[in-house]
Amino acid sequence: MIERDDHQLRNGFEALRREDAAGTPPFGATVAGARARQATVPRHRALRLAAAAVAVVAVVVLSIWRERDGVRLQIDLATVRWRAPTDFLLKLPGDELLRSVPQLGSRGLDRRTL
Amino acid sequence: MAADLTAELEQLHAAAFGWALSCCGWDRTAAEDVLQASYLKLLDGRARFEGRSSFRTFVLGVIARTAREARRRSALRRWLPLASLVLGPEAADGRPDPATALARADDTTRLVRALERLSARQRQVLHLVFYEDLTIAEAAAVAGISVGTARTHYERGKAALRKLLEKERA
Repeated sequence: MIERDDHQLRNGFEALRREDAAGTPPFGATVAGARARQATVPRHRALRLAAAAVAVVAVVVLSIWRERDGVRLQIDLATVRWRAPTDFLLKLPGDELLRSVPQLGSRGLDRRTL
Repeated sequence: MAADLTAELEQLHAAAFGWALSCCGWDRTAAEDVLQASYLKLLDGRARFEGRSSFRTFVLGVIARTAREARRRSALRRWLPLASLVLGPEAADGRPDPATALARADDTTRLVRALERLSARQRQVLHLVFYEDLTIAEAAAVAGISVGTARTHYERGKAALRKLLEKERA
């Protein structure tokens, strides 16, 4: 059964092949068409390269233009510094003494007063 | 060398055109365009035969790849209107040629109509086996798929094609 069906399909394709063969363009004409196409390929390639170059130049010009005229976002870090409500707990008494450089002769660190 | 290549191509010309027609959905203009582009690749050495398969399998593979590229370019043209400036004019609209369809006998018209309703892979594998007389392994090499996948497409495609033909006859 399967073989007979295969045979039918094969006959169908064989008929299709015969019909296609009758309408096949001459080999010489197809090769001539291919050769003619060969002559136009460099022009296509040049067009593609030109299009790519135009796209690159456009991107560069756009980026320069935006850099010059565009408003840059300035971020003031002082305004975004966050302090926790419990920061005061980390403060030690006499903390300012540790942050300043002691000076000889000044009142706070005078030997006579120590 | 070039003369040998041309002579070998001439021997395969009818089979190559039939395969190009199948790859282009029986659009004659598109098939001629794909065939010319494939011959150009072969003649200017962009597609070089290295003896890994038979010359026939190699040529049919080049045509299949070229048809795929043509389909991609066509899709790109549809999606990007400006792409036609770079890619050039479209060769054909991808529909079967009415003159070719009219010249066909009823049986072959039914077969072509049924083949068009199969998946592209099933149609390719059946065409390569029944029309081009390739083995399933050779058909797999041309279509760029594994032998197992080609065998599956072959069996399922045959079953689907039989059903479609029976429906067409009824």
